[in-house]
Amino acid sequence: MTIDNIIKIKNISFTYPESDSPAIDQLSFEIPRGSWTSIIGHNGSGKSTIVRLINGLLVPNENEDSFIEVDGTKLTDDSVWDIRNKVGVVFQNPDNQFVGATVADDVAFGLENRGVPRSEMVKLVPEAIKAVGMTDYTHTEPANLSGGQKQRVAIAGIIAIRPKVIILDEATSMLDPEGRDRILKTVHQMQDDYNLTVIAITHDIDEASLADNVIVMDDGHLITQGTPKDVFAQAKLLKEIGLDIPFYMQVKQALLEDEFPIPEQVNSEKELIKYLCQLNSKK
Amino acid sequence: MSKILIGRYISGNSLVYKMDPRGKLLATIFFILIVFMANNPLSYLIVTVFSLVAVAATKLKPKIFWDGVKPLIWLILFTSFLQLFFTVGGKVYWRWTIFAVSSYGIENAIFIFIRFTVIILISTVMTVTTMPLEIADAIEWILTPLKLIKVPVDKIALVMSIALRFVPTLFDETFKIMNAQRSRGADFNNGGLITRAKAVTPLLVPLFISSLETAIDLSTAMESRGYRGDDGRTKFRVLKWSKYDLVNLGYFAILIVLLLVFRTH
Repeated sequence: MTIDNIIKIKNISFTYPESDSPAIDQLSFEIPRGSWTSIIGHNGSGKSTIVRLINGLLVPNENEDSFIEVDGTKLTDDSVWDIRNKVGVVFQNPDNQFVGATVADDVAFGLENRGVPRSEMVKLVPEAIKAVGMTDYTHTEPANLSGGQKQRVAIAGIIAIRPKVIILDEATSMLDPEGRDRILKTVHQMQDDYNLTVIAITHDIDEASLADNVIVMDDGHLITQGTPKDVFAQAKLLKEIGLDIPFYMQVKQALLEDEFPIPEQVNSEKELIKYLCQLNSKK
Repeated sequence: MSKILIGRYISGNSLVYKMDPRGKLLATIFFILIVFMANNPLSYLIVTVFSLVAVAATKLKPKIFWDGVKPLIWLILFTSFLQLFFTVGGKVYWRWTIFAVSSYGIENAIFIFIRFTVIILISTVMTVTTMPLEIADAIEWILTPLKLIKVPVDKIALVMSIALRFVPTLFDETFKIMNAQRSRGADFNNGGLITRAKAVTPLLVPLFISSLETAIDLSTAMESRGYRGDDGRTKFRVLKWSKYDLVNLGYFAILIVLLLVFRTH
């Protein structure tokens, strides 16, 4: 049985009009349905461009055998609105994506665009606000919300339209640690409740290490793809393209440098903790 | 900072707050027109009493209304004094070259004073008890007939609500930039007119750039949330007429009738 892939991207290239070299170069990857995928890479590696290509905000360079497919629908000029119905994006800056004058208005914005009758909106909007734990703030104006709360409202706006895929485009990068944790928790809950596929673009390696699937980008190319365990085992490769490695890998390497014998196959936080504890008990 | 910014709206829970913003906006506009129907002491008394009752009905502190009148007090006094000294007719009490105080002059000065004050009071009642957003909704409703001549009322309404939503955000941004530039030595409060105008540059340029960036980000976000700009959009926010609006209507009708009866023809 083949794995059910909700997003298929093949041979996509994209060049910004003002630049000579492509931001995305011959990119192909697939994302399994229901998974949490983190896309990492340093600044300017083309991560955010991928998001804009997937929901049709940017149009890829013309190429015969390239395509973007979301949930069985190929992205074309005609299907772009269908695709946007299936993909919800939370952007980086919480201030600049809040359209409504109050929380409820903002959550309703996506529904209004789709012509959902008001009688249904009255049910859907409070439901979505409740799902992200913002019920007490239903009539609050954005100026009186924290960044983390605004991002949760943005998630509610997406939940209200029931998408298949939710993309976090560095959605936590402007938040304080507490706000970030709450957002990630909320999205994990949403993933379970609504069987969502999550694509998280991030700089935060520790966040990426919690994903099911990691894609590493460099200069518009896909460098490697796999489980966090497999990807972060290639510490050398990551350092070469200027990326950090997760904290447990740093600990492992520092211990190795001090000639502490840590086996090669210890490649996750849990395994490292377990190994170190066992080591202690043997003495 | 953002406390001043939610317009001059002050939250409250009296009768006036429960009225529909459309009714309040229309009543305010028409009130300003019908104040000019008053033309004798009795009709001015009626207008004054009706305005004061409306003010009292908000159950807000009188100081708020005084704050509304204060910025315009010099204009009111100036106009009243012009009326006082330059109106000719009736019994003349005092005369010096071109200045004269006559009974007509006194009467006119008082009338002008009342007219100004009640108009400001009633507008303050409107703005203080209605959220800017509700005012925008009310304006949209009033503009709806313009759809017939192909005015894009929906888009104007969206522009209004986005503009209102970004007023506090831009204010915060302005203060942040000001403080950032101050920490680098910019001085916004001293010097002559030209020095001060120049000092605004390090504030305005970043503010313009950040507004444009915000606009681009916001339009991207709106598009990715399915905004197409054409018809077929539904509305979540609706206004409902209630029994309180009958109070508004009735009060206004009584005022008009009284004015029609008691004005001199």
